[in-house]
Amino acid sequence: MRRMTRQFVFALAAIFVACGALWAQKQFKLPRPFREYPGYEYNDFPVPDDFQEKHEWTRARLRYPSFRNVHGYFADGYNRWTVDYPRSDRHLLEGVRRLTRIDTKSVEQVVDLDGDDDVYNWPFMYAVEVGYWNLPDDQIAQLREYLLRGGFFMCDDFHGTIEWENFTRVMQKVFPDRPIVDLDNKDPIFHVIYDLDRRFQVPGMQYVVYPPHRLYEYDGFVARWEGIYDDKGRVMVAICHNMDLGDAWENSDDPRYPEKFASLAYRIAMNYFVYDLTH
Amino acid sequence: MFELFFKYPASVFSKGTFVFAGGWPVWLLVLAIAAAAVALAFFVRTNTRAAARIKGARSVAVWLLQTLLAAVLLLMLWHPALSVATLRPQQNIVAVVVDDSSSMAVDDAGSGSRKNAAVNLLKGGLVKQLQDKFQVRLYKLSDHLDRLEAYDKGGLDKLTAAGTATHIGDSLKQVLADAASLPIGAVVLLSDGADNSGGIDLETISEVRRQRIPVHTIGFGREKMAHDVELTGVETPARALPDSRLSATVAFHQHGYAGQKANILIKDGGKVLASREVTFKADGVEQTENILYNAGPAGVRAIDVSIDPRPGEENPRNNKIAKLVNVDQRTARVLYMEGEPRWEFKFLRRAVEDDKSIHLATILRTTQNKIYVQDDHADAPKSIKDGFPTRVEDLFEFDGLILGSVDAPYFTTTQQQMIKDFVDRRGGGLLFLGGRDALGDGGYKQSVLNDVLPVKLPDHKNTFVRDPANVELTAQGRDSLITRIEEDPQKNVERWKTLPYLMNFQDAGQPKPGAVVLADALPTSVGRLPLLTIENYGRGRTAVFATAGSWRWQMLQPVADRSHEIFYSQLLRWLVNDTPKRMTLSTPKQMLNDEASVKLRAEVRDKAYLPAADATVEAHIVGDGVTETVSMRPDALDAGVYTAEWMIPKAGSYVVEATAHRGTEDLGRDVMTFRRDDGVAENFHVEQNRELLEKLSQETGGKYYKPEDANKLGKDINYSEAGITVRETRDLWDMPVVFLLLLLLRSGEWLLRRKWGVI
Repeated sequence: MRRMTRQFVFALAAIFVACGALWAQKQFKLPRPFREYPGYEYNDFPVPDDFQEKHEWTRARLRYPSFRNVHGYFADGYNRWTVDYPRSDRHLLEGVRRLTRIDTKSVEQVVDLDGDDDVYNWPFMYAVEVGYWNLPDDQIAQLREYLLRGGFFMCDDFHGTIEWENFTRVMQKVFPDRPIVDLDNKDPIFHVIYDLDRRFQVPGMQYVVYPPHRLYEYDGFVARWEGIYDDKGRVMVAICHNMDLGDAWENSDDPRYPEKFASLAYRIAMNYFVYDLTH
Repeated sequence: MFELFFKYPASVFSKGTFVFAGGWPVWLLVLAIAAAAVALAFFVRTNTRAAARIKGARSVAVWLLQTLLAAVLLLMLWHPALSVATLRPQQNIVAVVVDDSSSMAVDDAGSGSRKNAAVNLLKGGLVKQLQDKFQVRLYKLSDHLDRLEAYDKGGLDKLTAAGTATHIGDSLKQVLADAASLPIGAVVLLSDGADNSGGIDLETISEVRRQRIPVHTIGFGREKMAHDVELTGVETPARALPDSRLSATVAFHQHGYAGQKANILIKDGGKVLASREVTFKADGVEQTENILYNAGPAGVRAIDVSIDPRPGEENPRNNKIAKLVNVDQRTARVLYMEGEPRWEFKFLRRAVEDDKSIHLATILRTTQNKIYVQDDHADAPKSIKDGFPTRVEDLFEFDGLILGSVDAPYFTTTQQQMIKDFVDRRGGGLLFLGGRDALGDGGYKQSVLNDVLPVKLPDHKNTFVRDPANVELTAQGRDSLITRIEEDPQKNVERWKTLPYLMNFQDAGQPKPGAVVLADALPTSVGRLPLLTIENYGRGRTAVFATAGSWRWQMLQPVADRSHEIFYSQLLRWLVNDTPKRMTLSTPKQMLNDEASVKLRAEVRDKAYLPAADATVEAHIVGDGVTETVSMRPDALDAGVYTAEWMIPKAGSYVVEATAHRGTEDLGRDVMTFRRDDGVAENFHVEQNRELLEKLSQETGGKYYKPEDANKLGKDINYSEAGITVRETRDLWDMPVVFLLLLLLRSGEWLLRRKWGVI
């Protein structure tokens, strides 16, 4: 009986503390704490010891609803947002620490366009496999608001015409009046840290693992560096089409994956991150 | 009454010197009094021994009264007198100066103007009274002094009360100039004292005192208006950047409208720039209100600050004051040095990018050995291409400097000293932001820059905390332009309370003496910390904004919200608005109301902002039909400062362009505007300034009179050290008060003896 009473008190206290934390989060609109989700490829990737340490910056990863199938045959389209996650993110953030003076966390932050303000706490957002994304109108509206307030969106790892069309279908709803344009070599985004005039297609792991070791996927033969500019001539959406930077970051510790691709992928990321923080 | 007891007017005593006319030595008087005291002591002692009732304190009282009686009698034997200088009849001139300015046309009591009251007083006997003993010269006073024809020839009829200003000091100087060749024994000034030249300067007072000419004043007009609202001053910056939000501090008082509401308006031509409803406080209480308005585009802005005339107001002409604001067509250059890529850097840049008056150049340490420079200004110097400037003249090209999360040791010792000089000598603005390598955590406490910080940095490290913190304005912050996001002060306070919390904050320590905290951070983890602290240092300004987390004000609020942009724009404008150029031209007053001269001051510095004492400085003045070049002279006490005074030929607006050269080297130029308006000054301070008149009389040995007491002037005016005088000795022994004293002493002793039953 006595033991039951104690358990009851503990349970009550736990509920009280949880409610208090929830209230504080709502009241102050505190950023949501770090949380790891089941991944498309990884479910047991180790969380760094310092994952709870507070730092200035981290790259957010957008959790978006996706189509199951865009290529006309069966494909597991669900949870496309978790492709390469979290291995790619953790490797990349280590690179940020090593290569720049950005004070970054060791773990990514998964964000949602769910109408809550949380996403605005993370002004740099990345999405993978956006050829599969299927944003409803309310999320499209929030993505537009996010970008206009000063957020930056980078997307990667989508290939060929079909995925491009699905991506642009959504993006044109976000900004009906802003064209997607090729980023010029002279744009500061390619020079802010590294001069990246000579870029090349960065393949996914298929280049290493599966014959015939193609650089491209589907009909995405040529890497395209696209973007959407804001009214001040700044890139606010950076689109990496027909390349797989995510795989390059993810497999940068794999000796089979060519260093030159990983190296370019990191340099592109560093430039994009610092570009965002300077423009 | 005074004369009844003391025989002579008080002025005789104040001006005369006490003497003994008997010729016997004073020491003998002292000896005689002492001897009398001893003798009386012996007498009282021997004579009262028999009388048992007079002993102890009673005997001392009797002795004291008898000794005093003897002393007074002995004093009279020595023939006390006053030696006083008096004007010789008919050999001296009395200057009668009548205020003829337009404030003398005011009809206070409904029975005629002040001028008429003065004329009536003079015609009613005062002139005759003076003419009995002196020659009388009549003058009229306004912004200068004019002599009137003699009284008998109708000189007083020439008064019109139409003068555009009252310069009492200047007019007295002219009387003194006449006194150099004429035996002027006294000046009689009939005025309301409504001087609008800033009062009577010490130099004039000293000169009057040196010549020992007493100035007797007769005050006219009511000392308080029954129904009037008067603007007493408007303070607003003389220079501003285009589209700046400016503050006008409006001072006013009123009589007869306490508790009522009125509107203060700020207009540029016919366009209302700002308005504020105010409630009048008690009668005569000075009120001040701060009103914000927009400076608008570049150009000279002539703004009118006014309060709507009230029903039944006696003098509505003093409800408006005009001011000039030079809105400079310039872009202030600010250098922002940041030690790490971070959100605050990005959003600060974005916050001020639409502000055409601020050009922000940035240097960012992107990696351990790389910097990224952003400076797209057309005149961008190449000096920061390779990093933070290493030469003074390169750094001093900027008007403001921001140091972000960059540790002090990143700068060389020379660069640190340059930054300090940037504030102290250059007069630039320096803003410190919070960060993991900023302030205390950046080693600034151990650097020379610790001196310029407006806060005392804490001794410990780890002062930068990544915890949320709300912001609250302090009392000073509520009045500051920097923190004014909303026009309405109360709404502004509430607006700050609803801003998204800061992502982080830094314990920057407590403010130094003289520093002002405008906003506090209210973290959830600790109590309250100064967040935004400012102070003036040397010729410049410094500020600490102890956070790197204000970017949430942009990201966590709708796109249309401008809070973040407004805040940073105003903070940077404050930082650079008063940063001087190498050459700065100024004048104490840009609006000259009925003033005939303008004082120009130019401060000239070389490239290192050291005073250029050997420059050739000229001011080119252009006005309506006027073009003139004035050489400016170096100030003997202030190196690098050049001054000139120019007589303004007529009312109107004038533009001055000053240029400075040293040999063939161009040291700079500056342009300024001023305006002379006539017929304005007399609209203000129309109540009688009795204080000024009394002080003038007091300082010069004269006396202040109300018009109804002016008949006493005839006697007082005789006593003067100026003009042709004769020294007279006036006996004091026969003053009624002496006999009264003797009677009191004797009767006092008698009454005491009666009381004690001795007699």
